[in-house]
Amino acid sequence: MSAKTAAVKPDTIRPPKKASTLHHSVHVHYLFTLPVLILYVTFFVVPMFMGIYYSFTNWSGLSLTYDFVGFDNYVKLFQDKDFMQALTFNLKYLVCLVVGVLAISLCLALLMNQKIPFRTGFRSIFFFPAVLAGVTVGLIWNELYLKVVPVFGQALGIEFLSKSMLGNPLTAFWAVLIVNLWQGCAQPTVLLIAGLQSVPKDVYEAATIDGANAWQRFKSITIPYLLPIISIIVITTAKGGLTIFDYIKALTDGGPNKATRAVGLLIYNDAMQGGKFSYAVAESMILFILVAIISVFTIKGNSGKEAGDA
Amino acid sequence: MARRKHIAPGALLFKIFSMLFLICGVIMILFPFYIVIITAFKTQAESAANFFALPTSWTPDNFISVISKANYFMYFGNSALITVSSIILIFLLIPMCAYAIARNMNSRKYFKFVFYFLMLAIFVPFQVIMVPMVLYMGWWHLNNQIGLIIMHVVFASAQGVYLMTNYIRSVPPDLEESASIDGCTTWGSYWRVVLPLVKPMIATILVLNALWVWNDFQMPLLILNTSPNTWTLPLFQYNFKTQYSYDYNLAFASYLIAMVPVMIAYAFAQKYIVEGLTAGAVKT
Repeated sequence: MSAKTAAVKPDTIRPPKKASTLHHSVHVHYLFTLPVLILYVTFFVVPMFMGIYYSFTNWSGLSLTYDFVGFDNYVKLFQDKDFMQALTFNLKYLVCLVVGVLAISLCLALLMNQKIPFRTGFRSIFFFPAVLAGVTVGLIWNELYLKVVPVFGQALGIEFLSKSMLGNPLTAFWAVLIVNLWQGCAQPTVLLIAGLQSVPKDVYEAATIDGANAWQRFKSITIPYLLPIISIIVITTAKGGLTIFDYIKALTDGGPNKATRAVGLLIYNDAMQGGKFSYAVAESMILFILVAIISVFTIKGNSGKEAGDA
Repeated sequence: MARRKHIAPGALLFKIFSMLFLICGVIMILFPFYIVIITAFKTQAESAANFFALPTSWTPDNFISVISKANYFMYFGNSALITVSSIILIFLLIPMCAYAIARNMNSRKYFKFVFYFLMLAIFVPFQVIMVPMVLYMGWWHLNNQIGLIIMHVVFASAQGVYLMTNYIRSVPPDLEESASIDGCTTWGSYWRVVLPLVKPMIATILVLNALWVWNDFQMPLLILNTSPNTWTLPLFQYNFKTQYSYDYNLAFASYLIAMVPVMIAYAFAQKYIVEGLTAGAVKT
């Protein structure tokens, strides 16, 4: 090791004194944390507090002066039809997305956890959508909804599929959800497969000997073992549902007739359009509160529950 | 495996049903790619005649026009530059910070504080930072590629430090201690002893962030709004689509060509990508 020290940058070379090694290394360790900490504070924490601060003002983002207005922006938000419509969209979407992702990925994971041919091949294919850009997926499905899905709809005689699902305010919601599920189940499926493989085999065997049927084994062994993973999936999917942007921008841009205008898109439009700066930040604070509530509840709901608990 | 068990007919039936179900799923996943590929190689007239048939002659014309008309390689270069720079910075800064935290968080409050302070970011949705960020980056004159790279590093830190700290804590400190007794500096023992030991987690974090940065759409959309010459591939695709929406053969060729780098990466580094994306399920 000592031979290699010569190559170390001159400013870090010091005489090898054994006695001071530990003491010295802690000082260097403080320095090690500084770059990340400084970047994080400058470009994450400061903008965040700026946002919180300006959400209590009436600053337009352009004017030279502004006043404190307390909770005015927040009060206005809850009287704002557009915002409430967007928030309703997000909440409805979030519930459907979480339920859909959990149901589909749990099914896929259970099926792929059996000894069946082409298991790794299936896994590679089901995982592939996860590596693509959300906006690419959105743009591709945009064309599919226009050109391909209606052909199937007409062939099968299904009314709502016969025209572009994106053009109808009633079906656009589901069209976006389908695209999100197409891509969004990949990662949870692989996580759940990993979780299933961590369940000790002998627990199942013991339960089988005790006369537990497949459903009982699933309910009392598999699910408790998977709970930590399920909670991660719920948090990340819920967060994804609340902050959805790429798919909407690529698929509908909020249309038709504001039917798919999510809060994320509304904030983007308000922030970019100018003059509504403090209002746009207040909108984002509502998302913040919702994400925080969901995360805390999911973590709390799972802490203390260990595998094996009924 | 050599031992053959008697399989009950019910179990066999269930396996056949599972296979059928999974095959349906595979068709659902692959069908869009089939459409993308065939359409990208067809002429407009051919697609109009039959949208679903294979192309009669696989023409590369659509790709040639995407590359020549739209300056594809410039956007590819921009994406590559931003991804590589972000990854290098992440590699230099994040494991270092995580190492310091992992080795001191039990004895010193400062490191424990830094750890939980960084973890806060996991609970903050992007939109909260987004609105002030646009303004703030303008003040710093960072609404350009440099600003975008900085933001990518910042958004990678919470998750990267979290994954790396937990990983380093599982590596016993004996080796570094003996290295420093042998006269290695703190930096030297970190760089020569610790980093090689935590390579798997570094690979995971880098793969994860490379994909994230490469695919990101929202941040470039907000930060790179001053000059189209700085756009990344996802931005290019989005704008290409609005420009050429009448010509879907061209549009599909542009999607395919934008997906190719990721497809190649997936073919060669699938193991790392799957591991990376599953380890990093929690992303800011």
